[in-house]
Amino acid sequence: MRQRYAFLLLLPAGILLTVFLAIPYVSVFLSAFRVPGEGTPYGDGYTLGNFARIFTDWFYIGQALNTMLIGAVTTLATLIIGLPVAFQLARPELRLRGLFYGIVLSPLLVGIVIRSYGWTILLGNNGVINRTLRGWGWIDGPMPLMYNTLGIVIALTHVFLPFMILPIMSAVQGIDPSVASAARSLGARRLSVIRRILLPLAMPGIQSGCILVFVLALSSYVTPALIGGLRVKTTAVTVVDAMIDTFQWPFGAALALTLSVLGGASVLLFARATRMKWK
Amino acid sequence: MIMGRTVLNLYCLLVYAFLLAPIFVVVGASFNAGEFLTFPPQGLSFRWYVTFFHNEVFLRAIVTSLWIASVATVFSVVIGTMAAIYYVHFAGRRKEMIRVAALSPLLLPEILTAIALLFFLYDIGIGTKTMFGLLVGHVLLTLPFVFMNVSASLEGYDTDWSMAARSLGARPFTRFRRIVLPLIKPGLIGGALFSFVISFDVFTISLLLKSIGTATLPIQLFDYLKTNYTPEAAAVSTLSIVATVSVVVIVEKVVGLKVHKF
Amino acid sequence: MTEVRLNRLTKIYAGGKPAVDSISLTIPTGQFVSLLGPSGCGKTTTLKMLAGFEEVTRGEIAFDGQDMVRVPAEDRDIGMVFQNYALFPHMTVFQNLAFGLEMRRIGKAEIARRVGETLEMVQLSHLADRYPAQLSGGQQQRVAIGRALVIEPRILLLDEPLANLDAKLREEMRVFIRDLQKRVGITTIYVTHDQAEAMTMSDLVVVMFDGRIAQAGAPAEIYERPKSATVAGFVGQVNLIEAALDPASPGAAKTPFGPVPVQVPPVGDSVTLALRPEAIDIAPAGAGPGTAATVESLQYSGAIVDYVLRFADGSRASVKTIPRHRFETGQEVSLSVDPARFWQLGREY
Repeated sequence: MRQRYAFLLLLPAGILLTVFLAIPYVSVFLSAFRVPGEGTPYGDGYTLGNFARIFTDWFYIGQALNTMLIGAVTTLATLIIGLPVAFQLARPELRLRGLFYGIVLSPLLVGIVIRSYGWTILLGNNGVINRTLRGWGWIDGPMPLMYNTLGIVIALTHVFLPFMILPIMSAVQGIDPSVASAARSLGARRLSVIRRILLPLAMPGIQSGCILVFVLALSSYVTPALIGGLRVKTTAVTVVDAMIDTFQWPFGAALALTLSVLGGASVLLFARATRMKWK
Repeated sequence: MIMGRTVLNLYCLLVYAFLLAPIFVVVGASFNAGEFLTFPPQGLSFRWYVTFFHNEVFLRAIVTSLWIASVATVFSVVIGTMAAIYYVHFAGRRKEMIRVAALSPLLLPEILTAIALLFFLYDIGIGTKTMFGLLVGHVLLTLPFVFMNVSASLEGYDTDWSMAARSLGARPFTRFRRIVLPLIKPGLIGGALFSFVISFDVFTISLLLKSIGTATLPIQLFDYLKTNYTPEAAAVSTLSIVATVSVVVIVEKVVGLKVHKF
Repeated sequence: MTEVRLNRLTKIYAGGKPAVDSISLTIPTGQFVSLLGPSGCGKTTTLKMLAGFEEVTRGEIAFDGQDMVRVPAEDRDIGMVFQNYALFPHMTVFQNLAFGLEMRRIGKAEIARRVGETLEMVQLSHLADRYPAQLSGGQQQRVAIGRALVIEPRILLLDEPLANLDAKLREEMRVFIRDLQKRVGITTIYVTHDQAEAMTMSDLVVVMFDGRIAQAGAPAEIYERPKSATVAGFVGQVNLIEAALDPASPGAAKTPFGPVPVQVPPVGDSVTLALRPEAIDIAPAGAGPGTAATVESLQYSGAIVDYVLRFADGSRASVKTIPRHRFETGQEVSLSVDPARFWQLGREY
């Protein structure tokens, strides 16, 4: 292929991403400053009112903070649960590795609505967990597992666990096995090898896994909507309500933008805090 | 040391159980004979599958989902593969920039992307009257997966192969068909499968950009779950799981994910 | 059968100095020519221009007088062997060889016949149905050569084809390639940085430095009468002697070995003389007439011994000899040279 015609290859993707992603992002930024409309998505003129409404109402501020908390706890939970699994799966000699790998991927094949639905069956007041515990006589009344933050975090942890495991696994697989052998020849015990050598080298994977899960958890709608019901709403749920149910487009845009900026800032802070000098 | 291994393996087994639990519960609930959702089921029956096959709304949603996933995948594969070829072989110093751009739909919050597209479509007068916006949204979200898979397999492609084919007299189209395509096939098929599965699962974009009568399966299911508690939803879910898994398995068997024994 | 002619061939990459700087060369039909030089000397770029993979900035390439510069690579009818072989991993050995013939729209039966013949020639008939990954390095190498030759190309280009093989196999393949080339009689251009390869295989060795041809000639000529110190040093070890002209005897220069006849340069009062280490005879001190020297260090490597010797005036010389007599470090020895083994170096390229 001649170099000078090569840019043609990039053209369709470039047009798609410019016209249907970059330009819409500019327009959504502007739209957040639009005046709410009467019977139309937005009226004429611009205003700061949408943001004023968010930042003067503790309801929205508290909700955004709670959403961020849910994102952070979910990220931490997926990290703690997923890290050992990622290390196990990265071992090429592992028996049944294909099966385990399939299990880790399986949630992706099943779909987010179905998985969240599965959690409502498990966590509900008459759900599997509560019934079982009551059957065993461990509890008297139903344990509140659904319609609260805890339930949302449990379900989100499940939903996004693969996105934590997969990047860490590929980072661990990229580590030259002789590095661990070298550390052991220098007298490091197994735990020191993990702590001093393998974990730092897996850090790029851990970092991208954390960022991915956090961003996905912040903007997820289905799981909080189904598990949280009407009682606990995350900002994303409120945004969709504003867009669809109450038809307040500019306000929805402003709220989504606020959440995204908060999330983006957290990601940047996190990336700075975990920056690797050797990369 | 042996102890450590055993503990690790036990821990991992627990995690795998955690990963599979909700899926098993849904499949199990679908065979419930009773009127309400309970687990374990009160007797086994296929009655909710029968109900489902008489429910036009769900059937139409499945057809819509399959149609959108197929069309979006075709577009994503073509566009994503072209971009990946440029990225691996021609990008030079702009490589990192192109990678970030191609993955951006994945890195940006889906909810904001959905709202942005909604505003944009409304501004240019298309709105959600047609399926166009829905399709664009799906192509956007699936593009990164094709790009990642294809560029990974292209990184393993040695440009000397193209030069060798050239010296043997192969013209550009022949080189692409006989050499490049077979050698990047695993990445291409992997990307297409990923794209299909992801599109089948896209929610927020579908919710905001759907036009009347184009509810995809996840949307329809979600709508149903907000007000109903019958095991019919479980039956639909089970069938949807079976459908996606079969697509993946059939594609792998027929087209073959493995090329030859390199 | 094809004669290849390069005329002032030049390649300049954007904003750089020439990678190939106006080289002219004629390769007679059926000859085996090596382009020899260190990495970055332009030999691979020259090969790629010949193959049509690099655009020519200036100059001409002609096969039998026919201009090739604007002919695309796929129409040049060239057999090319790549350094890493570039075998198509998804095709069997047979399919790899058949590919070029298929591009030429040759019938199935004819393809089978020609591939069969070529496989026999490269001794791979028994492996026709294997995939490249199932072959050893040497076998892959022979597939690559077979794939290039089966199309009966006008010329054969080889880009460092032996670089990835181990030492023993490399020597076998040298002989194999050279024999095959002689049998087929194809004009062959071979790029290498290994002077031993170039010397043993070629009819003509073209030594390149910095994008230019430093010297072209038969292997013996390049080794025994290199024109410059750089060429002399690249194709083997050499003693360089900066010798003052002897005012007492016109037409001779003073060396530690006595006066050596030289061509007097138009300016200056010294000349550079070169002497291969194996041209110096070494004997125990006092064994006969000769120049006295001391063994400063030695390196024993089996078939030969390398000595570094110091003369009374402090200058040094390397001597390569078979280990018939062993001399120890610090021992006094006596050196002698046939004056005809000296040669006078010219300007650098």
